[in-house]
Amino acid sequence: MLEFDDRSDMMIRFDAVTKDYDNQTALRDITFSVGRGEMVFITGPSGSGKTTLLKLIYSAEKPDAGTISVDGWETGQLKESSIPFLRRNIGIVFQDFRLLQNKTVFENVAMALRIRGVGEREIKARVYESLKAVNLRHKADAFPKRLSGGEQQRVVISRAIVAEPPVVLADEPTGNLDPATADGVMRIFKDINAKGTTILIATHNRELYQNSGRRVIRLDMGALASEDRT
Amino acid sequence: MPAPYAFTLALRSLFREKWINLLSVLTIASGLLIISLALFTVYNIEAATGRLPEQFSMILYLDNGVQKETVDGAVAALRKQSAVLSVRYIPKEEALKELKATLKNSGYVFEGLDENPLPDALEVRLKKEALGEEAVRKLAADAAKIKGVKEVDYAAKFLSALHYLKVGMQTIGLILIVSLGAGIIFVCYSTVKILFYRRNDEIETFKLLGATPSFIRTPFLIEGAVIGVSGGVVSLAGIFAFHYIVLLRLSASMPIFSMILFPSRLFLFLPFAGMFLGVTGAAIALGRLKY
Ligand SMILES: Nc1ncnc2c1ncn2[C@@H]1O[C@H](COP(=O)(O)OP(=O)(O)OP(=O)(O)O)[C@@H](O)[C@H]1O
Ligand SMILES: [Mg+2]
Repeated sequence: MLEFDDRSDMMIRFDAVTKDYDNQTALRDITFSVGRGEMVFITGPSGSGKTTLLKLIYSAEKPDAGTISVDGWETGQLKESSIPFLRRNIGIVFQDFRLLQNKTVFENVAMALRIRGVGEREIKARVYESLKAVNLRHKADAFPKRLSGGEQQRVVISRAIVAEPPVVLADEPTGNLDPATADGVMRIFKDINAKGTTILIATHNRELYQNSGRRVIRLDMGALASEDRT
Repeated sequence: MPAPYAFTLALRSLFREKWINLLSVLTIASGLLIISLALFTVYNIEAATGRLPEQFSMILYLDNGVQKETVDGAVAALRKQSAVLSVRYIPKEEALKELKATLKNSGYVFEGLDENPLPDALEVRLKKEALGEEAVRKLAADAAKIKGVKEVDYAAKFLSALHYLKVGMQTIGLILIVSLGAGIIFVCYSTVKILFYRRNDEIETFKLLGATPSFIRTPFLIEGAVIGVSGGVVSLAGIFAFHYIVLLRLSASMPIFSMILFPSRLFLFLPFAGMFLGVTGAAIALGRLKY
């Protein structure tokens, strides 16, 4: 893999970022960057700050120190009214899914397009295509409650990629999946990464990144413990 | 955002939370109905008192054996007053004749009366605009100073009672309108707030997916508008029902009620008032969305 020195090639850049919750430090002095079109893993024990790091990227949390830039936008200087537009560049696989319980699978995935003002006909085509990619075309009319954990997780993945955002953040995307299905999901990520999407995957699952040849950022108690290639 | 989708969301929510929404529609409708009845009452009192001045007059009793020139002078002086509509001279003979005509069945009271005990008088009619208690009192005081005028008589108590009734009704009407208007805004506010809290999770997700504030707010504003308009329409139906069932029946059996006016045009604003109050309440409930 290439080393990225040129600023304009950076999709995500953290510069000495610290994040405290109440009195507890969740991230301490984190500096790293992710290049355009790169696929990077973030790993570390539970509570080490992986989810917090992703939240800082989509501006659901604000850093207490340091700067973060996404696609050239410094999130600390973003006006509140611009945050929705920052988020439209980012597809998110939430660790806690965040599916709308009173909407069907189809509607959940379609929501990512509706908020972008996409027309109904295009929504139909793209949602079915995206559901097919995660093997859930046949569950389009089901409600999330009636799905298994792994199926729900795939709906979330489908929603994250349906709008083809330039950045995808996946928080433990295979946490509820058996190895075969997890493989399928990883194949999807590799596919869209090959088409140019920048992907950041937070996971405990060693098998996902072992021998992948991708960069792995290791967090430990909120500090950057190591950064290496497997 | 494509507006149709906001409508879809709003309609779905209206239907899903139909009991809360129905309750607020009925609350708003009763509020607007009370406002309408207050307006109706004030309107009728205005209309009724507006007709009174034509019948309101002042009697000026003149000195005994007053000269013709003095009477003419008094009439001229009164006509100069801007509040005066007309002045009529009633000589005491005519006054006695009128009195006798009124009391013709009890003519015996005049037996043994060889001298006319009545004074000459002037009847002064006032213009409509002048029917303020203050203005009439001032006019009476001025008239009393005119040469040849002995005494001024007018329905002072009636006039001031009428005046206070009018002001009182207007004040009560205004207080009712303002407080019920605020109440209706509050009902819409709390309804939308409840709906908003119930969907808080959903709204958080919308924000994380990149929804703009207007995408999130529009369905709620539509909901507020629909609730408000529905309340307005129900109250409109209510006030017309009041007209047809209560007023028309009453006036059929008791003709005095047919004097009551029903300003039906005035009530057509109700759905719009409802919509305005509904949207206002919803907008306050949503406040500024934080990202
Ligand atoms: N909203 C919050 N308020 C307070 N503390 C928080 C909050 N979110 C996270 N933390 C704390 O910050 C630390 C980092 O949490 P984070 O969720 O980033 O860990 P993680 O690496 O994603 O863990 P896991 O692998 O279990 O998902 C934890 O100690 C957690 O308790
Ligand atoms: Mg986490």
